Amino acid sequence: MLEIRGLSKSFGGVKATDNVSLDFADGSLTAVIGPNGAGKSTFFNLITGALKPDAGRIVLDGIDIAGRSPPDIVRCGIGRAFQVASIFPSLTVQETMLAAVCVDQRRAAMLHRRFPLVEARERAEYAMELLGLADQRGRTAATLSHGDQKLLDIALALVLEPKVLLLDEPTAGMGTEERWRMIDRIRELWERQKITVVFIEHDMDIVFKIAPSIVVLCYGRILATGAPEAIRRNQAVIEAYLGTEHHAGAAV
Amino acid sequence: MDLDALTGCLASTACLVTQTTSGLIIGMLLFLVAVGLTLIFGVLKVVNFSHGAFYMFGAYFAMTAYQMSGSFALAMLCGAAGTAILGLVFERVFMSRVYGANVLMQLLVCYAFVLIFDDVVRMVWGPEFRSMGMPAAFQVMPLFIAGGVIPPYYLLLIGVALSMALILGLGLARTRIGKIIRAAAHNPGMVSALGINTGLIYGGVFALGGMLAGLAGALAAPVRSLTPGMGFSVLIESFIVTVIGGMGSILGALIGALLIGLIRSFGSLGFPLFTEGLMYLFMVIVLVARPSGLFGKEIA
Amino acid sequence: MTELQAGRTDSLGVSGVELKSQRGQYLDVLVALAAFVVLAILPVFFGSKALLDFVIRCSAFGLFATSLNLLVGYTGLISFGHGMFFGLGAYGFGLLMQRTGVSIPVAFASTLLITAVVAAVIGAICVRLKEIYFAFVTLAFQMLIHSTILSWTSLTGGDQGLRGGIPRPVFMGLDLSNHLHLYLTSCALLVLGLLLMRQITQSPFGYTLRMIRDNANRASFIGIDVWRAKLMIFVLAALFASTGGMVMALFVSGAYPEFAYWTISGEGIFINMLGGITTFLGPMVGTVLLLTLNDTVTRLTEYYGIVLGIVILFFAIGLRKGLMDFAFDWYAQRRDQVRERAR
Repeated sequence: MLEIRGLSKSFGGVKATDNVSLDFADGSLTAVIGPNGAGKSTFFNLITGALKPDAGRIVLDGIDIAGRSPPDIVRCGIGRAFQVASIFPSLTVQETMLAAVCVDQRRAAMLHRRFPLVEARERAEYAMELLGLADQRGRTAATLSHGDQKLLDIALALVLEPKVLLLDEPTAGMGTEERWRMIDRIRELWERQKITVVFIEHDMDIVFKIAPSIVVLCYGRILATGAPEAIRRNQAVIEAYLGTEHHAGAAV
Repeated sequence: MDLDALTGCLASTACLVTQTTSGLIIGMLLFLVAVGLTLIFGVLKVVNFSHGAFYMFGAYFAMTAYQMSGSFALAMLCGAAGTAILGLVFERVFMSRVYGANVLMQLLVCYAFVLIFDDVVRMVWGPEFRSMGMPAAFQVMPLFIAGGVIPPYYLLLIGVALSMALILGLGLARTRIGKIIRAAAHNPGMVSALGINTGLIYGGVFALGGMLAGLAGALAAPVRSLTPGMGFSVLIESFIVTVIGGMGSILGALIGALLIGLIRSFGSLGFPLFTEGLMYLFMVIVLVARPSGLFGKEIA
Repeated sequence: MTELQAGRTDSLGVSGVELKSQRGQYLDVLVALAAFVVLAILPVFFGSKALLDFVIRCSAFGLFATSLNLLVGYTGLISFGHGMFFGLGAYGFGLLMQRTGVSIPVAFASTLLITAVVAAVIGAICVRLKEIYFAFVTLAFQMLIHSTILSWTSLTGGDQGLRGGIPRPVFMGLDLSNHLHLYLTSCALLVLGLLLMRQITQSPFGYTLRMIRDNANRASFIGIDVWRAKLMIFVLAALFASTGGMVMALFVSGAYPEFAYWTISGEGIFINMLGGITTFLGPMVGTVLLLTLNDTVTRLTEYYGIVLGIVILFFAIGLRKGLMDFAFDWYAQRRDQVRERAR
């Protein structure tokens, strides 16, 4: 579904992304991990068009989207949720969903009818229901709790019916319990919607429990890819990132 | 349009000298006003739309002091000190309340004071044009350089302005206070966490900016007529200068001011009705090419 | 889905969503009609010319200020140069009527066309800039236009303005040299203009604008072409501002450089802050307030500046929001309190 070939990006002398090549199979669930500064967010930014790569190809379902503008890439089918919930504070949950669907249905510039459009209703409802936000529909986004805002953020990405969903630290800023609930919900979403999901995560317990496949980035380069077991035993990964405690902990 | 006058002047050294000097004067006065504006923006992140009022008060304070005492030096002092105090009070009492608010609120507070100040001046000094007159010390023969006429007062003006530029530039770069101010521009939270009173810094910078504008007004008083609306055109022009030079950049203010001064001076020859238009045209061109101005956003 | 259809959740349930939007459209048209009727009947009860003049001026500025709010309040585009279109409308219409023999409707449409072109060009250059730089460049363009008006004396009359009045050939039975007809036409333009602008804000495009205002970055990650949307609203807003200028030109029977001076933009911004930018009619309320303030204060004292300055300070530092915003928030608070108690 998503093929990355030789992706590179430098800032000044620093190679934030260094010749990264990856494959994300259709319907896969992958965790991207790595120490701080490994280039995980840069990687996402390159895919979603927030940054233009210096070199490399990003092929989504056969189309090369590298270097295109964010709206273009979104329309091709990449959805992104942000580390810090990026929502529209003055719109209600429902308005947010309906507006996003309007845009996706190419009606962002429509002047002669009133918002919300009837055609947008169904998808908006579905997305709200999926993320458990239906009973908050009338609340202004700014008044939502932090966790709900993150849910709304993800809903915004999902409602556009992307082929690939990129989640940037979906559990950031949450307590342990909330984190597991969020990740369970994401897993549920992934199973129900059957889309390709890639998420950045720092909590190793979650990663090893949930993700069928893992990519480890370090200094902009891929350190290792594979199933949780293989990653856990990978010497280079342990040295660079996991440390021996995790290794021991995982063995239990 | 009177292009013949313009080309004729460019061909004559006498005219060149006179016009260039005139442009330098305009530029130097503008620089003093603009550098205050750019400092205030650089450190306080606020566009001081009432800046022209400080220029105006500087001129009026100077004129009154001169009329009462006959001393040019005292007049300059009163102009500068008076506006420094005004700046401090204005910042502490009013501007500090709208720092967090959006640009519109800040603009409105400043606009409100422009209205108030203009009327205050009209009440105290009357609406007619006033003049200070050239102090006796400077009523001497003008200098003749290459056929052009240069009043000695102009040299004083240029000298003062350039010294200010130097003092500011070096002061901000080398002294401890300068470093603190620059730090506060970048990270006020950190500076305050280090135990330094950011309120004092803000007040001080505003006072400094106001003082510079007031000094410009005081220096301009002998060679310009005073009227309650005088702050306004200066504000617009110094605004253009800071935007062209880059908000927050002292060097930008200097270069921008010189450019605008020369455009005004030579432009009024060739395009007597469209002189202002030339400045705006220049502003549009610069902004479209480099929105953050010629020298970007650093402070000094 | 069934739970939701049952209307279990509060005000904006599924079917409620559809109904509300349709209802809104009809309601607005009704309100507009009613308003026009009220305005039209006004001269019957209050025959004073001063009052009618006041309403005409309110129409001109109301159109201008509301169009500015499309930029400021709904899109987050703070333009300091919106007044240029007010001036363009006045001069364009005045010049067309004076120099060419066209009828008023043709001149009206042509002026709008000219405004659209100018706005498209200027907008294309400006809207890609962010925030304060956008404000600066729009101001620069306005002053450039103002300077051009001042210096192109052969065309515009320079600082004297367009002299000789504006010819008013009768059209569709309307004779705009008749004060009553002018009054009715201005009211009609105001009501129609407000209705159209209302439709814009409540359309899907209106919500696209809100998304851009709230979070332009995320908006582009949803697939919105932010630059194009901004350009579109910039041009649309210019059209309504231009209409306001045309009403003004008819009212004063000419056009003056002041119509393109930055103070018009300043007053527009001020009106928006007075009335409030979060409600649609805020700017209209602000217009009435400012014009009333202008008229009363200039009659009482020659030191108009101080009074106006203090009023501005009251709103900026005291209330910190416009009147309608204040009223709306107060109402919303009361409503939330009632809901809390009901739980």
